[in-house]
Amino acid sequence: MLLSLIVFLPLLFALVLAILPKESWIRPAAFGFALIQFAVSLLLFKSFDPATPAVQLAEFFPWVPALGISYLLGIDGISFWLVLLTTFLLPVVVLGSWTAVDKKSRAFHCALFALQTAMLGSFVALDLVLFYVFFELSLVPMYFIIGIWGGQRRVYATMKFFLYTMVGSLLMLLGIIYLMFTARDTLGYMTANVLELYKLKVPFVAGEFLNPQSLLFFVFSLAFAIKVPMFPVHTWLPDAHVEAPTPGSVVLAGVMLKMGTYGFLRFVIPLFPEAAEHYAWVFLFLGAVGIVYGALVAMVQPDMKKLVAYSSVSHMGYVVLGLFAMNSYGVTGAIYQMLNHGVSTGALFLLVGMIYERTHSREIERYGGLAKVMPIYTILFFIVTLSSIAVPMTNGFVGEFLILLGGFQANKAFGSLAVVGVVLGAVYMLWMFKRVFFGEAGPLVKDEHHPLHDVGVREFVVMVPLVILIFWMGLMPEPFLKYTKASVEHFVANKDAYQLTILESPVETGKLTAAAVADQKEKK
Amino acid sequence: MIALKDILVVAPMLVLLVASLIPVMIKVFNSNREPAPFVTIAYSILGLVAAGFLTASMSGVKQTAFSDALVLDGMGVWGTYLVLGSAAFAIMMAYDHVDTYKRLFSEKCFLMMGSVIGTLTLLLSNDLIVTFLGIETMSLCIYILIAMSREEVLSKEASFKYFVLGSFASAIFLYGIAMIYGTVGSTQIPAITAKVGELLTNKNHLFYFGIGMLILGFAFKVSIFPFHFWTPDVYQGSPTPITAFMATAVKTATFIAMLRVFQSTGYQAEPKLMSALSWLAVMTMTVGNTAAILQKNFKRVLAYSSVAHSGYIMIGLIAAAFGDNYDSAAIIVLFYLFSYSIMTLGSFALIGILEKKVGVGLNVDDLKGLAKKHPVLAAALTVILFSLAGVPPTLGFFGKFSLFGVAIEQDLYWLAFWGVLNSVVSVYYYLRPVVVIYMTESDETSDELVATGGLAKATLVFTAALTVIIGLASSPLLEMVRAAVLNRH
Repeated sequence: MLLSLIVFLPLLFALVLAILPKESWIRPAAFGFALIQFAVSLLLFKSFDPATPAVQLAEFFPWVPALGISYLLGIDGISFWLVLLTTFLLPVVVLGSWTAVDKKSRAFHCALFALQTAMLGSFVALDLVLFYVFFELSLVPMYFIIGIWGGQRRVYATMKFFLYTMVGSLLMLLGIIYLMFTARDTLGYMTANVLELYKLKVPFVAGEFLNPQSLLFFVFSLAFAIKVPMFPVHTWLPDAHVEAPTPGSVVLAGVMLKMGTYGFLRFVIPLFPEAAEHYAWVFLFLGAVGIVYGALVAMVQPDMKKLVAYSSVSHMGYVVLGLFAMNSYGVTGAIYQMLNHGVSTGALFLLVGMIYERTHSREIERYGGLAKVMPIYTILFFIVTLSSIAVPMTNGFVGEFLILLGGFQANKAFGSLAVVGVVLGAVYMLWMFKRVFFGEAGPLVKDEHHPLHDVGVREFVVMVPLVILIFWMGLMPEPFLKYTKASVEHFVANKDAYQLTILESPVETGKLTAAAVADQKEKK
Repeated sequence: MIALKDILVVAPMLVLLVASLIPVMIKVFNSNREPAPFVTIAYSILGLVAAGFLTASMSGVKQTAFSDALVLDGMGVWGTYLVLGSAAFAIMMAYDHVDTYKRLFSEKCFLMMGSVIGTLTLLLSNDLIVTFLGIETMSLCIYILIAMSREEVLSKEASFKYFVLGSFASAIFLYGIAMIYGTVGSTQIPAITAKVGELLTNKNHLFYFGIGMLILGFAFKVSIFPFHFWTPDVYQGSPTPITAFMATAVKTATFIAMLRVFQSTGYQAEPKLMSALSWLAVMTMTVGNTAAILQKNFKRVLAYSSVAHSGYIMIGLIAAAFGDNYDSAAIIVLFYLFSYSIMTLGSFALIGILEKKVGVGLNVDDLKGLAKKHPVLAAALTVILFSLAGVPPTLGFFGKFSLFGVAIEQDLYWLAFWGVLNSVVSVYYYLRPVVVIYMTESDETSDELVATGGLAKATLVFTAALTVIIGLASSPLLEMVRAAVLNRH
């Protein structure tokens, strides 16, 4: 029951927060709850066996038996770190938004925790309809977070965000229904269980667009491409990010975008292997273009947050490139890059949010010489910048390097294009850094009526775990890669006929551990 | 020869008649003094509940009555539940609505129950003449109910418009029956459906006209394009509880009557009929949704949304008539009607609670500040709107899911695709009230938001809760409907 606990604990916390008697208790309680939630998710380390690619800790209940819809949860190497990333970011976000969100804090934290449930649910759901439910449900809290606590054009941004995502996902819903009926016709029973659907051979005709597998592939891809977001369906992202409050941006960039790339890895490529292989070039191309395009557009942004938003487009381009390289370097790198992006872009949004709280401006031009006034902030910002441009020893390097290796293996042209993106990435980040922190003191920095204070204790505490992770993941990727290795190898080796089994008992390298025995007893 | 079993089948209607007559009788014998509204509503609700129990006691076996003129099968039983439930909520809304409060309430209940009797007749009819009778009884009561409103201009206009156009549609319907009788030699629905294939294959022109006119008559009642033009005006001009009743009970019964007429594989002989109906469905969805975007008045938004929903339900009807699995499609249509009715009742309940002047209704922008003044109502409305938009895990999502599922099962990909596109469009206007409620700063004008009506509030909260609860546990309901419908034979 561990997975259900992890998924629904935040929802319970949201309900508790909703009925908490005193307004002033909300933030401390929310922070405490977030820590509890993170601690509970750490139990995964105990019961997760990294040696097998099989689905672990599975839970199964029929939900709508007539249609073969079930409540099926499970976790494997692909989703393991994403779940932990999600639970890790929550306390960071709660602490980081201590002063950023100043109205209706009760409703805000309820929305944040409800969002957490939806996101965690979509990472561990192994039933397509259940996944869809969580996937769509995540829109609702985010819709409110942007729409209520956002900036000037928040209504426009949040509507755009909602409608964009809805277009893709509703079309995907048709695809899901079609798959379920295909299962009925070939397997003899209707099911939305992904593990069963992997066994389907959806008819594919190469060189012809109108065949079931290609259409399904593109329908699913569109939904996830919008979520990622991939060039050219990325236009909702800058608006959403710029208008969203800082914590909203962190969660959006940190976790929600990964639901798209996760969808490619879990559903699109394994369910439609031939179409994925056949049309991989499209996505390699779009991924590479996204990298360069995102970087070029980021370069000319006058607004810091918009710059970071476009850098997200660029970074997520790497992930797509890695995924569709479909070799072990590429896929490993893609998973790693998803985590990196969560950590470093999350950190960037937090840092931008901190300075915004002080000056209420994000215009790069109005800053300058910040390094003298806020030295600790500068150091933190610099570390995160390095991570974002993938300097060796930081986490970004490991991910991008692996992806480029994989990308070159798959297609030299697109690999080279991506390398150009690496250079451009360094350009826009360092240029922004230079304009904000060095040189002549800008109007906001030398404003004597509003002297700028360096980061406070709370802000420092928020950044410390992120900075630690940046170096940890950069210097010692092995412990992180250990957990994804089996799954990735299984994925790459069987990409034409991908199948997953459910691990019945959590056995750790041959011998039963105490935790496993306890788990088994619980099951009985 | 009328046997006891005939009486049993119409027993729910008789109970309704008696229950609705009592308050009026009290009034007559009490020197025309209105009985306490509480008494009236108690009798009405009791009557509806008793009718529900009577129907439940007869469910499980298919029964016919009055020489096969009426049929009580699983579809009829569930349709009856749905109509009775909708009527109960509509009466609850009417109880302390601005328009009715302590004024002619017993007469209103009487007419409403009379309309329910007509609706049930329509639901159970197995003969086109009875179908016609049902439609007329149902509609006549509603014409009066609309005209009885305190509001002067809009309600009279609505009533007149509905009456004239409705009579026109009835005439067409009746003409269609005559032509069908001329070709089939019977007005019994099973006799007609048995010969549909043969007549369509032989290109019997008279029958073509007949069935076409029949469909037009139905299309008017459920506001399918291009017979939807009355809908926004009539919905806006009517007292909100009556609007809610029209949008739910009347639609449910008419769609089920359509399902009965379409219960034949013979329609597959004429693919042109299918493409014509598909176009009507697509146009209905598209026109309803695009027009809803342009509306400012919340009631008109919901009116157009109900037009759009008729389009969605048409998808299910087409799947039932032209697919190879009538039963599964019929089950889904019932399920969708169920989800649609719950959401519609809830959203009209909110209008009933907030509106101060009948017929004018309230604009979407008037909802500003609702979250502050009435957080529970605001949250309930939001849940219902998300459900209407089809966001999981609400009932609206599962309704759409099963509807598109049936379309894909019968290879109606284009219809499913149009349905999806339209769902996306509809998200925009369903979420606009949410934006107004939560995302715009409320100013002082929001003090005017006065909520009245305890029972209407209960309706709103209850329906909102239902959309989530049944959404999460849709399986039992779906199973029950399935079991009931499959028992049909």
